[in-house]
Amino acid sequence: MEYKLRKAEPRDVPDILRLVKELAKYEEMEHQVTLTEKELLEDGFGDTPFYHCIITEIQGQNSSEDPKVVGFAMYYFTYDPWVGKQLYLEEFYVMDEYRGLGIGSGILRHLSNLAMKTRCTGMMFVVAENNEPSVQFYKRRGAEDLSQEEGWRLFRFDKDSLVKMAAPSEE
Amino acid sequence: MDFSIRAANLDDCKDIARMIMELAEYEKVSDHVKVTQKDLEQDGFSKNPFFHGIIAEVPEQHKTKEGHTKIGYALYFYSYSSWSGRAIYMEDLYVMPEFRGKGVGKALMSKVAQLGLAAGCHQLNFTVLNWNKPSMDFYLSQGCFDVTATMDYHCMRCEGEALKHLAQL
Repeated sequence: MEYKLRKAEPRDVPDILRLVKELAKYEEMEHQVTLTEKELLEDGFGDTPFYHCIITEIQGQNSSEDPKVVGFAMYYFTYDPWVGKQLYLEEFYVMDEYRGLGIGSGILRHLSNLAMKTRCTGMMFVVAENNEPSVQFYKRRGAEDLSQEEGWRLFRFDKDSLVKMAAPSEE
Repeated sequence: MDFSIRAANLDDCKDIARMIMELAEYEKVSDHVKVTQKDLEQDGFSKNPFFHGIIAEVPEQHKTKEGHTKIGYALYFYSYSSWSGRAIYMEDLYVMPEFRGKGVGKALMSKVAQLGLAAGCHQLNFTVLNWNKPSMDFYLSQGCFDVTATMDYHCMRCEGEALKHLAQL
């Protein structure tokens, strides 16, 4: 099966959102996706992109058929003041029926190459501890669980708490 | 106590590097710090910065024994949630021990929140060590929640040999 890995373009936004929702469904969090195609377009393909995206497409049976987007990765660059630039893998997904064909490994290989080319010292991401298949997939490839080994916990302020914190103090 | 909060500039990198080291010492991992003042200057203040900084400063009359007036900082960058869009990530938040308990940490975090909201962000994320109870209590009192506890998310990293190997598979 022929598949092609390439940089996402504005026309890919509907497929990106489709795959984001599919992954959220796999994690049983579909209702949490509030992102729209308009935001994805503005945030990924405007003057200052907040994210970058690569997609994998498969050529259809006949040459007249449009290629089908079956996998993607969304990433951006972050900074660790101790060791410098990092590549942060925000989202990484291959459609169920196209797994086991090396598409996921191909995406990771491309991103690791990119990380090294851009002088990143590491590639970071989060994974749900109970997602056994994914945890094993990453650990087999040498990823370390920083939450387990060093005790890091991810904290978050959502929109309402953010607004409260941004308000000027009463003092 | 009088203090001011402002955006960091190139000249602040010396003090930021000093305070990064102090924070690493507090977290008991100072040997992990490889980033230098020069790296900070290049990575934070060139055409495409990888991070932004905020500095907390006190007037001359409150300077430390060693003569420092820059007594706290926060480092942040913009990130993205595939579920909710634009987000801001607070990488470091630090106030020198003798200046704690006076609202400096709160003011730094408030500034990061303001900048995030102004840029259209829907969440502010950061990590904290599980043994750092004073910090965890502070953050929880400000209204955040522990994503690792509630959603079971673990922070993972692939670096060094593992990253090289992954690039060759």
